[in-house]
Amino acid sequence: MAKKRDIVIAGYSETPVEFKSGRSAYDFGGEALAKLLRSTGIAKSQIDGMAVAAPLSESPNPFFPVYMAEALGLSPKWLNYSGTGGCSATGGIARAASAIRDGLCETVVVLCADAPSTAWRANYGAYRGEFQEPVGVQGPPASFGLLMSRYHHQYGIKPEALGKIAVTQREHALHNDNALAKFKKPLTMEDYFNSRVIADPLRLLDCVMFCDGANAFLVTSEKRARTLGLSKMVYPTAYAEITNLHGDSSCPDITETGFSVIAPLIYKQSGLSARDIRMFQPYDDFTIAVMMQFEDFGFCQRGQGSDFTLGTDLSRTGTLPLNTGGGQISAGQPGLASGGLNLAEAVRQMFGEGGGRQVKDARNALVTGIGVVPFARNWGTSAALILEA
Amino acid sequence: MVDQAAARPVPKVSVYVDTAPFWEAAKHGKLVLQFCKDTNQFQHYPRPVSIFTGSRNLEWREVSGKGVIYAYTVIRVPGLGLEGRLPLSVATVELDEGVRILGNIVDTDPDRVSIGQRVEVRWERLADDVRYPAFRIV
Repeated sequence: MAKKRDIVIAGYSETPVEFKSGRSAYDFGGEALAKLLRSTGIAKSQIDGMAVAAPLSESPNPFFPVYMAEALGLSPKWLNYSGTGGCSATGGIARAASAIRDGLCETVVVLCADAPSTAWRANYGAYRGEFQEPVGVQGPPASFGLLMSRYHHQYGIKPEALGKIAVTQREHALHNDNALAKFKKPLTMEDYFNSRVIADPLRLLDCVMFCDGANAFLVTSEKRARTLGLSKMVYPTAYAEITNLHGDSSCPDITETGFSVIAPLIYKQSGLSARDIRMFQPYDDFTIAVMMQFEDFGFCQRGQGSDFTLGTDLSRTGTLPLNTGGGQISAGQPGLASGGLNLAEAVRQMFGEGGGRQVKDARNALVTGIGVVPFARNWGTSAALILEA
Repeated sequence: MVDQAAARPVPKVSVYVDTAPFWEAAKHGKLVLQFCKDTNQFQHYPRPVSIFTGSRNLEWREVSGKGVIYAYTVIRVPGLGLEGRLPLSVATVELDEGVRILGNIVDTDPDRVSIGQRVEVRWERLADDVRYPAFRIV
């Protein structure tokens, strides 16, 4: 199958990440849309499709995407609502591309907005009240503590490798105007080792902090983009996702993630391999997730994540620039708009708008998403997107 | 039996599928889990269908309550429902019947628990008539 280069991301926008902003997902979404219209110069009336991420802060409303369209004064002919958490942004790009190819719409805004540090309204329900929460597994840190323990048992974790991921990303966040103000100070390896253990062996500085914020992307055909007078664009040349890996097994190896299945798919679609990836903007809810992705995307062998991390220059001037805006760990995690944070940084870099953190020859990027922490496994959905110039 | 006088919430039963047999057996100190009769395999947490086949040909069967620690963490920071329980030992236990269950490890210093240790079920009392499965090192 020939590589598809018919659809483009022709614009992006991002709000600053804030903690307890007092604002709603609607308000952040509006800010992101207004910025997107301003930076692309297109009229709101030219948007005829919208893909929306389900936010924690408005989750009791099953009609959130319709309310959002109403709030923004949009009349989309195609409306998509994603419940895959941190995969909603990359997944939204892929779904928009399919819809455009099917002729359902021409110009889509992929919008991710959430404000859980202001209003946490999610209730996962299901089995959790009976079989998970009474054990004390209330949120992702306990689940990731369990995952890390198993990974360490099978392969060994060098904590200084996880510390290096935290320290490197923090350095990147210092150059990111949108990063949470609290994180705009340098981090040392000593700080990392001094940060308290919250769920062994997980430390505070291995984790993200829930914040508020939004991002938006303009997806259309290359032809349409040029008609609209847009000149900056990147091509999403490969996308794959998988939910509930080993869903028909009671005792899978939890160190094997969905990325091990989808990495070969995106490399095949794009014709690229790990050594061709110019920058890596992985979903980073926890440092261990970044390390496990180095392995599953073939940057190193399974179990070699610590040594690879320690032996590779992951800085913005290095051989594999990592989360060049600081990632969620150091820019702040805007709730379930989180997947768009890594994506916006990739597009920004490829548009040459990285400013003080610009990566040279930003010809492609690998962006990933992670959604939902399930019962006693790693994560629910894994998604990966390759962008090429 | 460990008495849990602290305000640990009592689970609401059968909120998403019928789990009454699990809780009824627990009252009598028996651990029962969902069993797929088509493939002779256990699954947990309880589901509306067999995760192996998609059929509803399921029943509840008692398991030995014996197994091995597959993954292990110690929760050290406060949270909802954790009052008076820190540091809290949490394990993914792989039961001998080939199924995993989350549970607390009781009766052992959290720092002396590790992956690979053998465990057996030990019931905690959350209310007069509600018991919850935990595990102890054997």
